[in-house]
Amino acid sequence: MNIIEIRELKKNYPLGTTTVHALRGIDMNIIEGDFLSIVGPSGSGKTTLLNIIGCIDSASEGSVKIGGVEITSLNDIEVTDMRLNRIGFIFQTFNLIPVLNVVENVEFPLLLMKKFTKAEVRKRADKLIDEVGLTDHAHHRPAELSGGQRQRVAIARALVTNPDIVLADEPTANLDSVTGGQILELMKEMNRIEKTTFIFSTHDENVLRYARDILKIRDGVLVKE
Amino acid sequence: MALIFKIAWRNLLRHKGKSIIIGVILFLAAFIMTLGSGIISGMDRGLELNIVNGFLGDIVIISKKEKSDNILFKMYGESIETITKYKDAKKILQSQEYIKDFIPVGKNMAMVLNEDEGDPGFAMTLGVDFEAYRKFFPDSFTMVEGSYPGKNEQGVIIPMKAREDLYDFINAWFLPEKGDIVEKNLTADAKENLKDLNIKRTAVFMGMSEGNYTSDIRLGVKGIMKFRALNTMWGHFSIMDIESYRKCLGYFSASDLSLEVSGDKKELLAMDDSNLDSMFGKGEFFVRDRGSSDISGISFKSRKGRETVGDIDYEAGIYNLIFIKLKKGEALDRSVGRLNEVLSKTELDMRAITWKKASGAIGSMAVIIKGALFTFVIFLFFVAVIIIVNTLSMAAIERTSEIGMMRAVGARKGFISGMFIGETAILSGLFGGAGIVFGIAVVNIIPLLHITSANDLVQLLYGGDVFKPYLSAGDTLVAVVQLVIVTFVTVVYPVRVAMGITPLDAISRE
Ligand SMILES: Nc1ncnc2c1ncn2[C@@H]1O[C@H](COP(=O)(O)OP(=O)(O)O)[C@@H](O)[C@H]1O
Ligand SMILES: [Mg+2]
Repeated sequence: MNIIEIRELKKNYPLGTTTVHALRGIDMNIIEGDFLSIVGPSGSGKTTLLNIIGCIDSASEGSVKIGGVEITSLNDIEVTDMRLNRIGFIFQTFNLIPVLNVVENVEFPLLLMKKFTKAEVRKRADKLIDEVGLTDHAHHRPAELSGGQRQRVAIARALVTNPDIVLADEPTANLDSVTGGQILELMKEMNRIEKTTFIFSTHDENVLRYARDILKIRDGVLVKE
Repeated sequence: MALIFKIAWRNLLRHKGKSIIIGVILFLAAFIMTLGSGIISGMDRGLELNIVNGFLGDIVIISKKEKSDNILFKMYGESIETITKYKDAKKILQSQEYIKDFIPVGKNMAMVLNEDEGDPGFAMTLGVDFEAYRKFFPDSFTMVEGSYPGKNEQGVIIPMKAREDLYDFINAWFLPEKGDIVEKNLTADAKENLKDLNIKRTAVFMGMSEGNYTSDIRLGVKGIMKFRALNTMWGHFSIMDIESYRKCLGYFSASDLSLEVSGDKKELLAMDDSNLDSMFGKGEFFVRDRGSSDISGISFKSRKGRETVGDIDYEAGIYNLIFIKLKKGEALDRSVGRLNEVLSKTELDMRAITWKKASGAIGSMAVIIKGALFTFVIFLFFVAVIIIVNTLSMAAIERTSEIGMMRAVGARKGFISGMFIGETAILSGLFGGAGIVFGIAVVNIIPLLHITSANDLVQLLYGGDVFKPYLSAGDTLVAVVQLVIVTFVTVVYPVRVAMGITPLDAISRE
């Protein structure tokens, strides 16, 4: 089943008198439970594509459906709730709220949902922290963690709400290759345990071996293998 | 909510420097606003208390001929118009249920003649029924020397302030008829000249009016008094019995009237011929003695006031003012309105004004002081608001990544604004609240320190001789409301900045 369906997606950035065509017409389907890598050189449109799928940026033209919901016509609150309930994010840097410790950061989106009791929230957060191997650091603040550990927290936080998809824009770009490899291994493991669809972007060919499916992008269009 | 406050609280701790800056500003602003409002309230209350209970009552009735309402301290030499039909007014006043009590008085300037040589001194004088006056203003003054005159006794009581002024002017130190020098009441200068002190136990007053148809009258000094508060102002007023006052001002006195009625020709003839001329000739209701305008050439064959007067209908004579006290809880402006309505339906040539209008100069000085304080507080308010708005907006911009990330993860705009409002509310609750509490404490401690001043202007600020700031429950509530308003005013712009931050702003910074 397709969790994401994208048709004729275009994104233009006005830049002074000219227009940058960041996405020039993307058509793609992503199957539920996939572990997909979008790969392409810098400036090819990976971030733009992920941002639109993640309801962080808007499309200029075309249609994007997540779980059957057309996201291009939603208002701010609907888009926010979409992000909260259906999407998990893992950013390159600055993933965590500095004043909250690991558990609290992982609990944060669950508390925003206002659907669960405190005990349920704590239980689910503890489970994910255990799965990403940070139980010993549960009460540390982000500043007390290494880059790799922070990305683990981000993974736990992205998964805690049971989203339809987890989006990761170059999640390992700021990590050394060993740690980056560990993070991707963890993501793949979580994809297996939680059955959540993962989409991550990279410009690093070495990272591709972790992917189950690969989409290549160049100059705002997908290129066939 | 708990989450918002947890994050807000920890953010405050994380950004301690900013929190302390904003906190201290809020503390100072709240403190100064509270103290300022305490001073203003204390001044209002003090002035009201000291003017209403000490000298004027709530309402003053004046002649309709009076051009200006400001009858307390008139321009030098300008005399106060007369009220002639007190007895009719009395009936009306008695029938007004909002009026508690009233008292008619005479009030004008008089010269105190220098019996040795040199220029005369000046004194403001009140003419009263001694017994009624004491009852009307029971705690407004104390006798420091001599004693308060009894019923129907004639004479004058001189305030300490007036005695000191007269000593400077005419070099006479007035003492009560019965009583010795009280050393602690002497001025420094008088103390130095103790041996040669020119002691006088009677004073010759000569009323001053524009027409100068006044006469001089020698009065025994019955006592020296001191007003409890605002002695520097009220202390200018020497108080004499109404009959002597009328003679002094050249008014047709009640005893003259009663004599006229009883036809006691002997007494009538004792009056100057000119008196009779003007009395019958001009057909005026009251008579003015023709005084000499040449002061230096005055001879002192002054007629001596009788020590006591028999059964005389004082109320038939002439007054200048009627002081009125309202019953507790009666609204001032409404009562004046009602009273004027009643008065306007009568033939009486009178109108009622509030103590505020009557005390004109004091009142307007008070307004100026109040205005200055108020402007200062508003100025502070703006400075505080600007600094806080600036600091908070900068904080919002500095936290773009954090805020954008929170938005990306699913926090609505309301959550972000709640976080900012929460941070500011905590600061204003803690620091501003402390400022208000500190302000209340200071306002309550100051009266205990018994800070006094003899300076007229400072006394105005104090509303009396003692600095007594005061905060009513209402004032405290206003301070809290002001703090809440400051909090919201300061937070509006930073919140808008923070709410404008999108997840994209956070990401594009990477
Ligand atoms: N906010 C923007 N304004 C103008 N041009 C932009 C903006 N964001 C991205 N672009 C342009 O769009 C193209 C795609 O960028 P991006 O999606 O960031 O590529 P990638 O993530 O693959 O490096 C680039 O040419 C980039 O310069
Ligand atoms: Mg990119």
